[in-house]
Amino acid sequence: MTTIVNDFTLNIATANGTGSQSANLILLQSLFNMGIEVSGKNLFPSNISGLPTWYIVRVSDAGYQAPGDRTHIQVLMNPDTWAEDLADLQPGSVVIWNTDAKMVMDRVDVVSYPVPMTTMARTLNPKLARMVANVIYVGVIAEMLGIEDDAILAAIAGQFKGKASAIDLNTQAYRLGRTFANEELTKADPYAVEARGNPGGRFFIEGNEAAALGAIFGGVQMLAWYPITPSSSLAEGVINYIPKLRTNEHGEATCAVIQAEDELAAAGMVVGAGWAGARGMTATSGPGISLMQEFIGLAYFAEIPSVFWDVNRVGPSTGLPTRTQQSDLQMLYEGSHGDTQHIVLIPGTVEECFEFGWRAFDVSERFQTPVFGLSDLDLGMNRWTCEGFTYPDVPMDRGKVIRDRDVFEAMEDFGRYRDVDGDGIPYRTLPGSGMAPILSRGTGHDPSGKYSEKSHVYLDLMQRLRRKIDGARPHLPAPILREEEECDVGIVYFGSMENSIQEIDDIIESGGRKVSQCRVRSLPLHPEVEDFCARHKTVIVLEINRDGQLWGIMRRELPNHLVDRVHSVAYSDGMPPRASVYAERIIATIEEVEG
Amino acid sequence: MSETPARSQPIKLNIIDQPLDAYTGGPSSLCPGCGHDQISSVIISAAWENGVEPHRIAKMSGIGCSSKTPAYYLGQAHGFNTVHGRMPSVTTGAAAVNRDLLYLGVSGDGDSASIGIGQLIHAIRRNLDMVYIVENNGVYGLTKGQYSATAEIGSKKKKGKANEQPPIDLCALAINLGCTFVARSFSGSKKQLNALLKAAMSHRGFALIDVISPCVTFNNNDESFRSYGYVKENEVTLHMADYIPQRVPMEEIEVPEGHYRDITLHDGSVIRLETIDADHDPSDAVAALAALHKAADDDHHVTGLLYFDPDMPIMHDNLGLPEASLIDLPADALRPSEAALDAVVARFRGA
Ligand SMILES: Cc1ncc(C[n+]2csc(CCOP(=O)(O)OP(=O)(O)O)c2C)c(N)n1
Ligand code: SF4
Ligand SMILES: [Mg+2]
Repeated sequence: MTTIVNDFTLNIATANGTGSQSANLILLQSLFNMGIEVSGKNLFPSNISGLPTWYIVRVSDAGYQAPGDRTHIQVLMNPDTWAEDLADLQPGSVVIWNTDAKMVMDRVDVVSYPVPMTTMARTLNPKLARMVANVIYVGVIAEMLGIEDDAILAAIAGQFKGKASAIDLNTQAYRLGRTFANEELTKADPYAVEARGNPGGRFFIEGNEAAALGAIFGGVQMLAWYPITPSSSLAEGVINYIPKLRTNEHGEATCAVIQAEDELAAAGMVVGAGWAGARGMTATSGPGISLMQEFIGLAYFAEIPSVFWDVNRVGPSTGLPTRTQQSDLQMLYEGSHGDTQHIVLIPGTVEECFEFGWRAFDVSERFQTPVFGLSDLDLGMNRWTCEGFTYPDVPMDRGKVIRDRDVFEAMEDFGRYRDVDGDGIPYRTLPGSGMAPILSRGTGHDPSGKYSEKSHVYLDLMQRLRRKIDGARPHLPAPILREEEECDVGIVYFGSMENSIQEIDDIIESGGRKVSQCRVRSLPLHPEVEDFCARHKTVIVLEINRDGQLWGIMRRELPNHLVDRVHSVAYSDGMPPRASVYAERIIATIEEVEG
Repeated sequence: MSETPARSQPIKLNIIDQPLDAYTGGPSSLCPGCGHDQISSVIISAAWENGVEPHRIAKMSGIGCSSKTPAYYLGQAHGFNTVHGRMPSVTTGAAAVNRDLLYLGVSGDGDSASIGIGQLIHAIRRNLDMVYIVENNGVYGLTKGQYSATAEIGSKKKKGKANEQPPIDLCALAINLGCTFVARSFSGSKKQLNALLKAAMSHRGFALIDVISPCVTFNNNDESFRSYGYVKENEVTLHMADYIPQRVPMEEIEVPEGHYRDITLHDGSVIRLETIDADHDPSDAVAALAALHKAADDDHHVTGLLYFDPDMPIMHDNLGLPEASLIDLPADALRPSEAALDAVVARFRGA
């Protein structure tokens, strides 16, 4: 039996609310501590206690982060999904199972490691046995795979920062599991891990926390939010960082936090803060954005800076609230009734979550318009390897705000909505300044801000707004390009698909075909996206949704002669993207196009 | 220019040396005689008399005939005519970052008692520091006369159904929510409204003034030969479907404390206004609610300052914010240093 090192997928089946999350994070972190490329995905239900949860750990020297096509090692803790999980396994898989679950493990074509986890846990702490049992499997896995003792101990210490009794209990449970495996189980599977050196400066962080930190460094002055999975941890991240990073010498906060009564109110508060001259933001998910539509249109039309983060989950409606998808793109881009068009920043990595976290405010104040950050559950709520964060390389851009009376008086014929510079971006004065006061409104208005229903006034206004947003294109984050020399096929994708693209690319390449990649990072499309399409005979737009939303936007915005070469591969079954699923569809599409 | 034309009368200035003109706005486009215009004129006089710097006021409103009025007063102040019923949240966001302005909100009964009732309730609950005027006419004026949620049971239309649902009394609601300043008035009672408005502007906390403000165009009584309904029914003869009758504004009506008077509205209907007793204790919420219930039983509208609690903490007190407004903070107070980021990252790295 040849050993398979650092290349497998481990799946842990538990029930929600049993405390398995911290055990799983210890496992993930310990592998990371050994310098191994690893990613973890939490597949959790929309429920507090009792429903099935899976945690998928992908260990891959190739750096693959998607869940992989099959499970190599299955941990069975949950009687409810036991039979199904077992049936799904390919022959030769490993099953680590809790014998106390009183379930049958009748597969003879797998490697079986029975462990009386709950019984063992009970010897340590009868009351917490259900929770402690999870750490027992960490010990068993550690022993069977060869995870270093130090790596686990460091992970336990990190997980329970300074809480001595928790560290103690978890360490004991881990040791119990490890010793059991060492003494009672005989290694009969090929999987193993090997240290790959120090992780260096890298660390694990969730996208939501990174975006929150970005907002903190972006000078957010008002956060209004209404809780919703998977965005709550973004808002809570901002709240958690305020005491340390955003208080003055008297300990007073320099950012107001308001838990709103609903998303309509949260959006209204963001618009109010922006109108007053501050950096306001909210974080929500699809259902919240649906409620915010009216305010989004007001902010667009009255030209109020405002930042909205959407951490996308599976829709429509309440959908699969704890699963990931890229299905809000179109709603954000064209949010609210009437002709609108909004700037959307789309991070694909945790580093970008941080960067766009602060940049969103600059863009919003520069262009005086709502700006969306579009993340998703996968990127936002799972832990990803991070190289570090780059401090903002430009001072805060507060846009065309006139604060000084001399400057104001030097301007001839000031008008709140006058296009003085020809870039479609007008100047504004703030409430309380007494300079050129107007009644901001969502009704038609002339360049001075006065109510008007005149056709030419409306037409000019709508054209200027279009010019303004169009003018933003080159100033928004450019796509990330990875181009092959033979430019036959190019794949355009966005957001968290970044975590699967390398594996998808390798699968396609293993079939003898090279493809280029273009990761879109903003809407409206950067001019380089069009250039990329022009350089490739066939362009595949790859996304985690049903309808091909980015594809639709591209078809509308690309010049006619490029439209026909752009094809959609859109798929979403509620699971985080598995590379082979998308690779197969891409290959099929290319073959179809090439006839 | 050294010569100024002689004036017959010197211009009157307020305590900050501003003429009344500094507080006026553009011409109104409401129906002549609309109660809302009377309220606008009281806003102008109250702000002037209070000596508020006109540009330090923020005029907030939702959507409706009432919500259009910020264009007609305080032309030196910035304002925001937001979306239907959602002025409270916009004001909350603005006030959170700029606490130095006087937030003066105007809304309608549709705006406040229907689509926006949730936001009104939560702004009261936060004790947002603002003046909130409801220009209450019992109908949706701007959408042409549908009943609002403040219309009384039996508000009768000869054709079509009488209103059968009980009204929401915004004052009673506010008192139950712990609103710190609750008053009711009448658009034609300029003296009383002026006094209440000046008090509300000086109040630290949420001040609700529910002002009965008759809609002269879409009143509820189709019987009245002066009503819109009459005009509509007779549009064949008049050949004018969109005829809006010209009304002279209602005469000024002041009711002495503890008394009531019957007021005949434009459509001939009568409302009975009562001014709360001089010895009503506005710190007594139960007495205020009792007065409201009793008045409702008697088909009166009880006016005056119903409830007042000057000591409740306002939203800002609970947000842990500095005395200075957040919008005045310099960039380095908003963006932590590079060293601060390094420290955060070092912690992640376990260093
Ligand atoms: C979301 C939304 N729904 C409906 C409307 C239509 N609308 C405009 S004003 C109004 C009612 C206004 O009534 P009220 O608040 O009592 O003000 P009034 O005109 O009586 O002063 C309605 C329903 C709207 N503007 N927005
Ligand atoms: S419709 Fe009624 S509320 Fe609206 S302006 Fe005319 S009178 Fe006033
Ligand atoms: Mg009304």
